[in-house]
Amino acid sequence: MGVRDDQKQATREKVLDAARDLFNETGYDETTIRAIAERAGVSVGSVFTTFASKAEVLSHVMEKRLGELYAEFDRVVPYLRGSTADRLCSIFAIHYEFETRRVKLFLAHIAASYNPANEPGVKPFGRNERLSQMLHDVIEDGVRRGDVRPDVDPGLAVDVLKATYAWNYRLAAAGGVVQAIELSAAMDRQIAFIAEAWRPR
Amino acid sequence: MSFVSLNIESPTDAPAKLTRRALAKQRTRERVLSAARRLFTERGYEGATIRDIAQAAGMSTGAVFASFADKSELFDEILTTDYEIIYAQMRQAGQDAQSVDEGVIGMFAVAYGFHIEQLPLLQASIAVSWTRSETAERRNRSHLKHIFALLDGVLARGVERGELKADIDAKLLAEIIWDVYVANYRRAIFDAWSVEALLARLSEQLKVILAGARA
Repeated sequence: MGVRDDQKQATREKVLDAARDLFNETGYDETTIRAIAERAGVSVGSVFTTFASKAEVLSHVMEKRLGELYAEFDRVVPYLRGSTADRLCSIFAIHYEFETRRVKLFLAHIAASYNPANEPGVKPFGRNERLSQMLHDVIEDGVRRGDVRPDVDPGLAVDVLKATYAWNYRLAAAGGVVQAIELSAAMDRQIAFIAEAWRPR
Repeated sequence: MSFVSLNIESPTDAPAKLTRRALAKQRTRERVLSAARRLFTERGYEGATIRDIAQAAGMSTGAVFASFADKSELFDEILTTDYEIIYAQMRQAGQDAQSVDEGVIGMFAVAYGFHIEQLPLLQASIAVSWTRSETAERRNRSHLKHIFALLDGVLARGVERGELKADIDAKLLAEIIWDVYVANYRRAIFDAWSVEALLARLSEQLKVILAGARA
């Protein structure tokens, strides 16, 4: 990589870190590109040469964060034990623990996934292939281990799990401080319920 | 099959005779609301300013503020009007149904049919509900409470008919159904799914959700 590429990469990292903090501290709507540039110590112009819009900045902030999270999951998943429901509970508990550290950022990410600003460089919540794939794998593994009925469509089960996972963040959207443990507890109950659908009988 | 025919009941109590001034005020409100609806639909919540809305309505910013305290009040009023329109139809669909599946699908057929017609406005309202003020959250909650009461009714009748187990956690069940209903809008937004496609998917998802609850 040339000096120029190095610089470009450094600018990108600075912008993403600054945006991550500002989105979480002051909120996504309230944060301007100018404020991000200022916090990152770069010019407004250089933000725009790297990202087309604020929505794209948010999308890349999340992608970077999730990249770190899923690298961790790659190590953890093979060690998950217990029933399929137990494994799913663990996976979501880790997500909640991770996302509640910067919960406002995550709420902005969910909000953006419904936003009218529908841009090519943006990867919204719900399009996270890593999460879908991981859940898919756990359910299919359950079929092999015999605690998931083989006629259950994993795609549908993943839909239901992801929808439930996201909606639990409403507890945080309501204002107050939300503990990861509350969200996980809610999710555990929902998973237990959903797991009834695939219990062999 | 059309899901968008709206049988809006005419108000039962006729408005009291309005003075000319009150009438003018009401017309102003309506003009502002219709301009705001158009702009929110075109540009989303953040993208439409009070200044734009005033301009589109052909009046001054001051005149808009005489009718509405701020943009969020204006937005709330539009959402509340829409909500009232579909609520009556959702209730009817839920009550007429002969099974839980039919009731849930009937209710959400009304909602999908209505919202897909003006998807950008719905997108703006969901997006705002995740990040906006307590007011937005309060409004959202009071609407949700009524929708959940309808879902509870559908599930309770399912229990009475012996379709669902008597000891199901109806609150949890209703929540999960709602989560999936809302999440599916992303498929309309990003994959341009039709109302029929959304309902077909919801119907399949519902089978998964209800499987453990069936008697």
